Amino acid sequence: MVGLSLGYMAFAFFRKWLGWSRGMRESTTAPSNYRMPSMIWVAEVLLQRQLFTLSFSRWFIHILIFYGFLGLALLSAASCILRAAGYFAMSSTLPSFYLHPEGYFFIKVWGDSFGLLLLLGLVMAGMRRLALLQARQISNRMDVILLGLLLSVTLSGFVLEGLRLATMPAEITRYSYVGRLFSPPGTYALKQLQPWLTACWMLHSLLVLTLFVYLPHSKLMHSLLAPVIIFMNAAEEHKREDLYWPEMKKYRGTRSRQG
Amino acid sequence: MARDEKIQGNKIAAGLTRRQLIELNACTRCGECRAWCPVYAQDEREEITAYGKLDSLRRFINGTLPEAGRKNFIEALYECSVCGQCHVVCPVRINTHELWEQARMSLVNAGIPQPEVQIKQLAAIKEFNNPFGKSQNERSYWAEAAWKAGLLKSPVPLWREQPAPVIYFAGCLASYEPELQPVAVQSARLLQEAGVDFAILGEDEPCCVSKLRRMGDSAFREEARKRVDQFTRMGIDTIVASCAGCYKGLYSDYAGLWPRAPKVVHFSQYLDQLLKESRLHFKWKTPLLTTYHDPCHLGRHNQVYDQPRRVLRSVPGVDLVEMPRNRVFSSCCGMGGGLKTVNPEIQHKMAAARVREAESTGAKAIVTPCQTCYLGLLNGAKEARSVVNIFHLNELLVRSICPEVTHESVKTALVRATP
Repeated sequence: MVGLSLGYMAFAFFRKWLGWSRGMRESTTAPSNYRMPSMIWVAEVLLQRQLFTLSFSRWFIHILIFYGFLGLALLSAASCILRAAGYFAMSSTLPSFYLHPEGYFFIKVWGDSFGLLLLLGLVMAGMRRLALLQARQISNRMDVILLGLLLSVTLSGFVLEGLRLATMPAEITRYSYVGRLFSPPGTYALKQLQPWLTACWMLHSLLVLTLFVYLPHSKLMHSLLAPVIIFMNAAEEHKREDLYWPEMKKYRGTRSRQG
Repeated sequence: MARDEKIQGNKIAAGLTRRQLIELNACTRCGECRAWCPVYAQDEREEITAYGKLDSLRRFINGTLPEAGRKNFIEALYECSVCGQCHVVCPVRINTHELWEQARMSLVNAGIPQPEVQIKQLAAIKEFNNPFGKSQNERSYWAEAAWKAGLLKSPVPLWREQPAPVIYFAGCLASYEPELQPVAVQSARLLQEAGVDFAILGEDEPCCVSKLRRMGDSAFREEARKRVDQFTRMGIDTIVASCAGCYKGLYSDYAGLWPRAPKVVHFSQYLDQLLKESRLHFKWKTPLLTTYHDPCHLGRHNQVYDQPRRVLRSVPGVDLVEMPRNRVFSSCCGMGGGLKTVNPEIQHKMAAARVREAESTGAKAIVTPCQTCYLGLLNGAKEARSVVNIFHLNELLVRSICPEVTHESVKTALVRATP
């Protein structure tokens, strides 16, 4: 299943690449220097200055989702690498430290923190889309599906963690400060919860794999493409000497739709 | 997917850059472009918005856009003033205005022509060197007539007879359009007042052909190359353009074609320089509360915001109050990108909205340094039945420096001098 969905995702990306390569090559002009485009990249991608200046609430929601998602993705990738390293070199100290109780709390505490950011961001984004007319007007099926999918992945992840924590001693579970909230009351033997754990793991995995399959066709593509486009366009504007870097603070709140 | 649609999609894709094709997938549909689009404010159709156009173009290229969607997309692509507002508010920094122009050209190359009215105008530019289909001999009529009417201190020299380090590039509108000829006369007079050694090209002045780029005519590169060769042969040092569209054409659109380009400045930038050097002297006060309209081609497209404002503030008696949407957020008057040609009604509504915004500031006049915007705002004032005055930046300067060349007096004198 994992291979199939990752393979499909790779195939979908390859098809996208084929589509893009139908265009003219001259788009990638080398910037005269990288300093200014890099500064803009940091401001626009890592700090999301543009959103901040346009709407604080949207910036806050997006930054929660962005860092939550990015953190979880990096942590998952790091965990996979550590497991692989541990598998191929059993004596390696780094994998055994992080994947066993003495260092595992480090991964748990960060995992829960990023998950919490993502969960808060997604809930707020959903509420915003329901509450604000303007946000409702621009929402389409793709927005609803993606938001629902991300929310399901995050929630099922926490429920799975909660179930697992219910079978563990309290001193290990204290670092999973969010996952604990999803834990059923009381202590259980692993055997008791095994069917639930399996079902929940299956559901979570299925949702994650669905996300992989859906990603190339969803607006989540912007998470991969926006950082590239921001740098390329900033470099081109810089070369053309019309790079815009407005003094946004001055114009906050100047938006006025005219009828 | 029909084979023909796929072939057409491939042709359109081949006319765009790879970066632009990636941009079609990078849109987040956040809706920011919709909130700011001055065209959408007048015609609330989703296809008009940048995200709507990006989505339609992507599906067009992939061959999945239905026939009705294609028709709507083409209409929306040309019902855009290419003002660049969506670019500057886009969190992904998608270079929308470049994309729209390139998409127009790409569609034409794929066999989908521009609207009929634009085709006629483009043909006139290529055949007559101006969009009005007039003779090149009439280009410097304004200069001769103004000299005969006593509006200039000395005759304006033609470059071919008396080469000078500075060329005043009036542009097609100020050369031929009676409502705008005063701008050319005032510009020449102000240069004379400052003692600038300048000349005009007269019948050698070509159309900048930036309209070809705006409307997606594939002859743009070739035509622009001819102009670049002409200017290079002449060995010009500085070109001062009084039209923001010509300035964008000569300064930005030619950039890749003109490695040893001379200094190209907009007239407002040049005035700012002359004022800094104390070469212009104000004699009279012009008490007036004004607001400033940023032309898109000067502001958003070329980051020229401060110089025209400095010039305006330097006029004795003039006070400047900003509109809610100013500088990078300045709302377009609708004159650019071929929109006025395709849909004058929308242009009038857009300009009327801008005039109403100016009214809300309490200003008695809207000042702009672009002759095209000036014309557009006049339409807007008429549409909004506003009492706010519309002035070209030159007008306020001449009122304080040489009041004999005010807009009305020049217009009257030129009409009288018409043979």
